[in-house]
Amino acid sequence: MPPAAPRSGEAIFSSVDRVNAKLFTLTYGAIVRQLLNDLEEVEEVNKQLDQMGYNIGIRMIDEFLAKSNVSRCIDFKETAEMIVNVGFKMFLGVTASVTKWDADGSCCSIVLEENPLVDFVELLDTCQGLYYCNILSGVIRGALEMVVMKTEVTWLRDMLRGDDAYELQVKLLSQLPEEYPYKDDE
Amino acid sequence: MIVCVAVVGHQNNPLYIQSFTDADDALKLHHIVHCSLDVVDERVNNPKKSGPTLNDTFLGLLYPTENYKVYGYLTNTKVKFILVTTDLDVRDADVRNFFRRFHAAYVDAVSNPFHVPDKKITSRTFADRVSTIVKSFGLSSAT
Repeated sequence: MPPAAPRSGEAIFSSVDRVNAKLFTLTYGAIVRQLLNDLEEVEEVNKQLDQMGYNIGIRMIDEFLAKSNVSRCIDFKETAEMIVNVGFKMFLGVTASVTKWDADGSCCSIVLEENPLVDFVELLDTCQGLYYCNILSGVIRGALEMVVMKTEVTWLRDMLRGDDAYELQVKLLSQLPEEYPYKDDE
Repeated sequence: MIVCVAVVGHQNNPLYIQSFTDADDALKLHHIVHCSLDVVDERVNNPKKSGPTLNDTFLGLLYPTENYKVYGYLTNTKVKFILVTTDLDVRDADVRNFFRRFHAAYVDAVSNPFHVPDKKITSRTFADRVSTIVKSFGLSSAT
């Protein structure tokens, strides 16, 4: 049986079960509010959101690979394209784009024009250092770590802070070779 | 010309009051809004038997004072919107339309996870949207 062809993000998004957007937005907002109440420090909340995203990402990558049937990516550029075209579309339903590649192809920016997590949100003056969507950076970091790429994800632009779009910078730190759990000579 | 809009919570606590005139009788406007709350309670407790009560959100003209007209709108969570205007001939449809858009802006403001229910609405986006709605109300009824 020939292997199934890779499916586009649109196709997968329309075939999976979906949840009401407002429910999703309000649930995420409730999580952030609760974290702020419990932890009180904006930096702590940022770290916690990143950790939550990491935990989601390490599990989400399997779902991604199972549903999308993509083949191995040749280099980091293709990986980034895959995240943007298939991943974001499939899980959030948003169209994102990759820009600002640096000279050796290890650092790029993912730009999101729309973001369902932040509908209706306005940051208070007391939590100005908060990266409200920090869960997304954790998800990307976690997912890529499961395919043996260590990355660092930071926010360059954030609409809640007055910029015009959301921009994530993804920097590939190292790519470990595949490790086999068994020794060859045993 | 709309002079004042107000959002009043279900315990008659003010959540948002904004006046749109330069005259410094803000206190008088607040007083008018406060008095109109009594009329709202009266309407709510004695529903008019005539006419269908399908759209019982829009309360209509609450009471006319010497140079103001006060309209009310009640949401199903007992939050009241009060509109004070100096226009002498205001179409019912315009006011209903105004309240519908105002209600939409209110719902968006309240969906903000950082907004505490039953506390004052501090969202700047809400204030901007309300100004836009107020401005366009003035234009549409100027024809």
